[in-house]
Amino acid sequence: MPTKRNRSIMDILDNYFEELEEEFKKWRETLMERPSWNQKACTMEPLRYIRVTPTEVIVTVDLPLTKERSIQVKPVDKSTIEILATMKRKIRFTDFGITHHKGEFQKLHCHLRVPVPVYMEKMGLRFKKGILEIRLPRRHEHTIPIE
Amino acid sequence: MSEAIKIIERKEIPSGAIMLFGFPDVGLVGVIAAAHLVEELNLAEVAYVDSKLLQPLIVLHEGLPHSSIRIFGNHNLLLAISETPISADAIYQVMDALIDWGKSKKAKMMISLSGIPIEDRQDAKELKVFAAASNPEMLKKVQDKGIEALMEGYMVGPQAIMLLRCAQIGLPAITLLAQCFLNYPDPEAAAEVLKGLATVTGVKVDTAKLLEKGEEIRLKARDVMKRTQQEMSNMKKGQEYDIPVYVS
Repeated sequence: MPTKRNRSIMDILDNYFEELEEEFKKWRETLMERPSWNQKACTMEPLRYIRVTPTEVIVTVDLPLTKERSIQVKPVDKSTIEILATMKRKIRFTDFGITHHKGEFQKLHCHLRVPVPVYMEKMGLRFKKGILEIRLPRRHEHTIPIE
Repeated sequence: MSEAIKIIERKEIPSGAIMLFGFPDVGLVGVIAAAHLVEELNLAEVAYVDSKLLQPLIVLHEGLPHSSIRIFGNHNLLLAISETPISADAIYQVMDALIDWGKSKKAKMMISLSGIPIEDRQDAKELKVFAAASNPEMLKKVQDKGIEALMEGYMVGPQAIMLLRCAQIGLPAITLLAQCFLNYPDPEAAAEVLKGLATVTGVKVDTAKLLEKGEEIRLKARDVMKRTQQEMSNMKKGQEYDIPVYVS
């Protein structure tokens, strides 16, 4: 006969966070095990980093060899940004000593999802030392009052 | 030496050399600096690490297979470099084997080259180099040369293991850490750590080429940086930001 087990809220929460961590790990591995370039689109994927502070989300994107004026930052929807930048010159696989792939790249391109609600229209941009910095003020939609 | 890790010598190993380490870590400072040293000093591969504990991976150079962890050298310098991040599971055994091997070759000092991340790195006008040492004499030596010591805090990664292991076996050791980006390859920081190395040891290299090729290096190093981020997360590298509670 199956026994009914009462699970505490802490067990449920622990389980939830474990599952979440496992999913995140899988997602991260999926991202990792694909090339950081797209031969057809002639683009390379830049490194990026997202930091959430109490007031804003700061996104940085490493855009080496990029012409500042060529950088395009487009909000795709409420939580997604697309970044496209043209490099000063074409980069070929052979520039890195790779001869078993053919192709050349002149653009850096990526999409990124902002993890909390933000005001996309208030986006601030800065480009310094080849790093693009995007600042997005946070939109605090709900606050729970402390009783 | 650990049975699981073999160090295969390809050339005669000099005795009494300074042994350096450049492993993937924050900003890839150590790897970029080490690769520059190999090129500028024309160092030859003298040994390599062979182990089933490592990822089943080889590095192909000019069509020939190489271990991802190799030791380069000349008459007075040995330099261990890894071209891919070493997993948290294997790091202790790899570092112990390399240090024991270095000791068996009578290395007079061990120095690990690495970075220390700072916020708003792109606004930093100057990048400082810090040091930690395996004993008070070494710490004083670097401080006397004008390098600031890391007095309190946590250190995570190969350089941490190196320092502790060297302290245990009584081998003088230093870790040099240049301020850098956390998640982006940082050739400027690599140039600074090399200046720190020159100050401590007198091993000087021209860093102009490194800075000139900086943007290209950043583009080329994206994939190694990405994998290093994953390994840093497995090692809980973020603990370096923590404020320790010391029990005196």
